[in-house]
Amino acid sequence: MIVPLAHILILAGILFVLGLICVVVWRMNLIMLLIGIEIMLNAAMLAFVGGASRWGMADGQVFALLIMAMTSAEVSLALAMVVYLHRRKKTVAADEFNELKD
Amino acid sequence: MKLYLALILLLPLLGGAVNALAGRKLPRRLCEVLACGVVWGAFGSALLAFLAYRGAEQVTLASWLADFDFAAPLELYLDPLSLTMILMITFVCGLIHVYAVGYMAEDPNYVRFFALLNIFVFAMLVLVLAANLPLLYLGWEGVGFCSYALIGFWYREPRNATAGRKAFITTRIGDTAFGIGIVWCFLLFHTESISQINQMGFLMPGSVITALGLLFLAGAMGKSAQVPLMVWLPDAMAGPTPVSALIHAATMVTAGVYLLARMQPLFGLSSIVMAAIAVTGAATAFYGASCAVAQRDLKRVLAYSTISQIGYMMLGVGAGAVTAATFHLLVHAFFKALLFLGAGCVIAAMHHEQDIFRMGGLRRRLPATFWPFLAGALCLAGVPLTGGFFSKDAILGAVWAKGGGLYGCLYLVGLLTALITSFYTFRMLYLVFGGEPTGASHEEAAEQGHTGPVPRVMEVMLVPLALLALAGVVLNVPEYLGEGWLGRFLAPLAAGRGSRLASGTELLLQGIAAFACLVGFAAAHLRYGGARRQDRLVAAAAPPTGLTAFLLHGWYVDNLYRFLLIRPYEFLAGLLWRRVDEGVIDDSLDRLAAGFGKVGQGLGRWNCGRVSVYILSFAAGMALIIGYLAWMVL
Repeated sequence: MIVPLAHILILAGILFVLGLICVVVWRMNLIMLLIGIEIMLNAAMLAFVGGASRWGMADGQVFALLIMAMTSAEVSLALAMVVYLHRRKKTVAADEFNELKD
Repeated sequence: MKLYLALILLLPLLGGAVNALAGRKLPRRLCEVLACGVVWGAFGSALLAFLAYRGAEQVTLASWLADFDFAAPLELYLDPLSLTMILMITFVCGLIHVYAVGYMAEDPNYVRFFALLNIFVFAMLVLVLAANLPLLYLGWEGVGFCSYALIGFWYREPRNATAGRKAFITTRIGDTAFGIGIVWCFLLFHTESISQINQMGFLMPGSVITALGLLFLAGAMGKSAQVPLMVWLPDAMAGPTPVSALIHAATMVTAGVYLLARMQPLFGLSSIVMAAIAVTGAATAFYGASCAVAQRDLKRVLAYSTISQIGYMMLGVGAGAVTAATFHLLVHAFFKALLFLGAGCVIAAMHHEQDIFRMGGLRRRLPATFWPFLAGALCLAGVPLTGGFFSKDAILGAVWAKGGGLYGCLYLVGLLTALITSFYTFRMLYLVFGGEPTGASHEEAAEQGHTGPVPRVMEVMLVPLALLALAGVVLNVPEYLGEGWLGRFLAPLAAGRGSRLASGTELLLQGIAAFACLVGFAAAHLRYGGARRQDRLVAAAAPPTGLTAFLLHGWYVDNLYRFLLIRPYEFLAGLLWRRVDEGVIDDSLDRLAAGFGKVGQGLGRWNCGRVSVYILSFAAGMALIIGYLAWMVL
């Protein structure tokens, strides 16, 4: 292994925090929310893959593939929902959609 | 015999049950006839049992409590003591029942009254006939309950209801001690049968017998209104007069004396118990007599005199003279029932005026009441040759015969009490029957043309009681005239006779007692007879002061108890209620609930439905978890 695990984890951490900041800062915008979540998932995947190569086990890679499948499904659904929501309220501001409250 | 005993118990129970369950549907006359008939039927059965009596007998009616080696069947024990008691109880109660028909003629609640009266008699008979302590206790509590219900019979007036409660609670204090004694008896002897316990007393160390005896004595104190549990009896006058007669003469208050007489073979083993009984009796006799001197209410005079006379009986039991005590019990039942019933006639005639200072001159207006009442009063005062004289003297003689410093003192107390008794009895006679009619209410009554109707049946009932009271001496003539019937009849009771006296000594003691009685009479005559009477009436108009007030209020014992027991209790109850219950327990729970409610509402506001808030919360939660993990690792 050329790159040490620590570096990978640091990179994954930075990516995760960036994603989190994206989510927290643009939390009013549904699309930016989704992008932030994707980045956080990517960071997690990176950590999995790094771990898998560090211990020579396939589990992490399998998990990364699973996350990939899950995110592609999620994003296709979520984008469809965003389009639908935008059609209903002419906005993508997250706080406008609070009908589930009651 | 079994049939007779069963009938004695079942008839009053039947009468009480029928009156209680169906009395309202029956015609009034039928209720009254039923209530009286069952008691007279019980008397008839008692008479038949007496005629068929050959020796002490134990009759098992049914099984009741039974568990492993504990057994308390419905078992009756008939011996001379219980036999004389049931004869007296059924006879006197029979008369009182008939009297009550007249007394309660205008009361709409006669059904409740007669039902309770019958059950009262039933409970007392159970008490007297019981062969074991739990059954005795059943009757003991039965009379307690009935007295509560009957003293507070006119419960619409708070004073009466309070008097009923007071009687109930005060006697319950003694009953608790008695109950403990019963349980302890079983632990000690492994039986509850009274006769077996009496025979097994010598197996126990003296200290145990003493403690047991003191517990039973406490029970007897409550029921028989002895010092210091006597406060309920004067207030028990709140009930109808027949009830007073029933409680005072024939039933409830004699139960304590009966119990101690019954257990005499056991407690006779402990001289401390006997001394305690005797001291209690003498103190009570003196206390009651001294209070009776100052009373203004006719029935309260009689109530305090009952306390005093029961004290004499206790004194007799304490001196080991069960025969003398029983003799006095019987004679007292006759003359005290007579006095109460007579007082009921007077009060009815005076339109419920009970103040003896507002009576007077009733001698000529109510001759049919006066003569029997006079007979009863002479007995109470212990005028020589009446039944009361001999029975009281038998007790004093037994105390004297016991000898020793303590019993010598008790004899002197008893003699002094006899003097006071004579004084207050004649005071009562002078004030009620002597002189000329005075008092506002009396004049009002006289203006209406008569002193009020006294139902004929009430006055007729006085006659047999008067004859029995006067002739009570035939029950037990003194030894120097030949052996008394009662003494011979009660002879099988072990240790029941007390010490014997030489005839000369006995005559001398009787002479002294007669002298004391005459001194009391002379003092009463000097104070209340003739022209002096008017001075007393004038003096009585002023509020009582000093010694008079002290005696009028029964030595302020009520106030003392109120101060010592009731006030702290009320204070504690108030503290526990206001501060602890409401202040701490309720309040803390209320506040806790309110706090949870507020927290819930606060948290509920979080659930706003805004995605941004959820995301921030999610991020914050994750930061917390990561922080926690980091803190754990580092």
